[in-house]
Amino acid sequence: MPLLEVKNLHTYFKTKKGIVKAVNGVSYSVEPGKTIGIVGESGSGKSVSAMSILRLLDANGYIAEGEILFEGKDLTKLSINDMYKIRGNAISVIFQEPMTSLNPVFNIKRQLSEPFMIHQGMKKKEAAKYAVKMLEAVQIPNPEAVMKQYPHQLSGGMRQRVMIAMALACRPKILIADEPTTALDVTIQAQILNLMNDLQRENGTSIIFITHDLGVINEMADDVVVMYCGQVVEKASAKTIFTNCKRSHPYTEGLMYSIPKLDSNDKLEPIPGVVPHPLALPKGCKFAPRCKYCTKRCEEEEPELTMVDEGQLVRCFYPDKEERKSAEHQKEVIVHF
Amino acid sequence: MARYIAKRLLYILLVFILISFLMYLIYNAIPFDRARWLADEQKEAYKYDPEGLEQLYQEKRTELGLDKNIVERYLMWLGVMPLNGKYNGMLQGNFGVSYTNIQQPVVEVLKEPMKNTIFINVFATVLALGITIPLGILCAVKKGTKLDTGVQVGSIIGYSMPTFITAILFIFIFAISFGWFPVSGQETPGSTLTGAARFFDRLYYMALPLIVMTFCSLGGMTRYVRASMIEALSMDCIRTARAKGLKERTVIFSHAWRNALIPIVTLVIGWFLGIFSGSIMIENIFGLNGMGRMYIISLNNNDFDVVLTLQMFYVIIGLVGNLVIDLIYGLVDPRIRINK
Repeated sequence: MPLLEVKNLHTYFKTKKGIVKAVNGVSYSVEPGKTIGIVGESGSGKSVSAMSILRLLDANGYIAEGEILFEGKDLTKLSINDMYKIRGNAISVIFQEPMTSLNPVFNIKRQLSEPFMIHQGMKKKEAAKYAVKMLEAVQIPNPEAVMKQYPHQLSGGMRQRVMIAMALACRPKILIADEPTTALDVTIQAQILNLMNDLQRENGTSIIFITHDLGVINEMADDVVVMYCGQVVEKASAKTIFTNCKRSHPYTEGLMYSIPKLDSNDKLEPIPGVVPHPLALPKGCKFAPRCKYCTKRCEEEEPELTMVDEGQLVRCFYPDKEERKSAEHQKEVIVHF
Repeated sequence: MARYIAKRLLYILLVFILISFLMYLIYNAIPFDRARWLADEQKEAYKYDPEGLEQLYQEKRTELGLDKNIVERYLMWLGVMPLNGKYNGMLQGNFGVSYTNIQQPVVEVLKEPMKNTIFINVFATVLALGITIPLGILCAVKKGTKLDTGVQVGSIIGYSMPTFITAILFIFIFAISFGWFPVSGQETPGSTLTGAARFFDRLYYMALPLIVMTFCSLGGMTRYVRASMIEALSMDCIRTARAKGLKERTVIFSHAWRNALIPIVTLVIGWFLGIFSGSIMIENIFGLNGMGRMYIISLNNNDFDVVLTLQMFYVIIGLVGNLVIDLIYGLVDPRIRINK
């Protein structure tokens, strides 16, 4: 049984120009101890779908439809007081920007003790003791000294470690990692990813890993959800996506082509165009205007998420890679670029 | 830290010397001869003895040190150079005499207005802060709601209306139409009340000016608190605080407020330093014997010892106030280090 199930989630934002459907019917589930990777471009709704789980949306955002089942409870229907007990306790988050995600006016001790004090009812001194232990767990050298420091005195990697320590303080069942390594340089990124893997193994935490970096997903995830324009376009195990699978969504294919490879001389092939404006989405397949296999059907009808293989779901009329590359298919293709 | 403060105090001393010299220069450039004024007081006695009068005038000049040049006079006024063989300047606690108040020492003349001004300002400041800070926070949290819009409109009106119009309007409404408060004055004339009864009698008279002062200062501060709180609430770390499972109240009053406080601190301390300076408008309209009124009267009467003393007092308040603000900045914002 999955630990967390997101079912047909719709998260909308009210704006002056209309309702932005940031997440439009997304479903995925998180198995205990596993890592699910959510990939997509900026604005694909990947962060919003994860923030909806904890209901940490901006004031104009709301969950319009759908269920988020966590241990049998629907999180969308819980009272705010019950949400307080889940946030940072059973489900916690690591954010993208380590530079600004810590409060600049409080020292590390104060910030790191808080989860222990609010969720486990500890007194200041006891919480501080556990906080030091957490700093040790995330491999921060000289934790006693760091406790007295303020965020601006730490480097980016150190701050992200503190964030991880804070998120894991109450041994959450699920950790939402919202692009945790995007703002870090590559060596630090590798360290942080290793650390997260180690901590996951020790605690059996499930991770929802949000990123636009397929390389990171390859390293971290068991299952992958590819999102585009607030929808899931492909769902499969990481193994399937990263091996030469027969079928896939053209968007996933495009993402794979835009990873630079050391051993080939081929030119990088970026996906042309930009993500459509959320208030002016195309009528048919949302990816059609940027797709090099797009046909008339794609522009008129919207494909459903269908099972194309064991454990692989794709939202495309032409999931077979060979087929859509064939000369026969090319005749029908509408060329946009 | 100690070194920093010592350094700043040295600067304050230098700036004070510079400003005080300039002020002294300016006030002495105004054509008014104190010795002549004193000598002329005894004109009647010397009616038939113009030479005696001239002698008296010269005596007065020597007595006041007016026969020395301006730099020497300045040093005497400061109290670092002897006047007629005696050090008798500001450093010795002699701030001169007020000519319009039967030759009383300046300190005596200023005692009463200072007390009145502080009395009214302490109340007005505490009252205004007590209203504006919670109101600003409330508006920031409820940004965009009807309440927020209402307060925004109200505060811009209060902010834009000149003090004297507000004051006259309030006198008309509350003192004349409703008759709730006395029109002006600062205590019941000829009253013999003492202790608590006197305090409440004064408070009754001070109530209307107090309300006007508070009302006039509401707008700016409310908007300032609101803006700085909105900025604090949109910080990434606020989302982190919420994600930790902190209650919204803790998020607002602890995590966000501490960040919003940094820009507000300057203003709040500025207000508290302003306790000593009276409002010229309000004190004149309500007939209160306060610092602002004293200042204007002294200026009009060429009572320069009083004016200069007041000026020097405000210069020192301003300079020390800036130091205090900087030190408090270091306390509320850990990113600012005071050690240079």
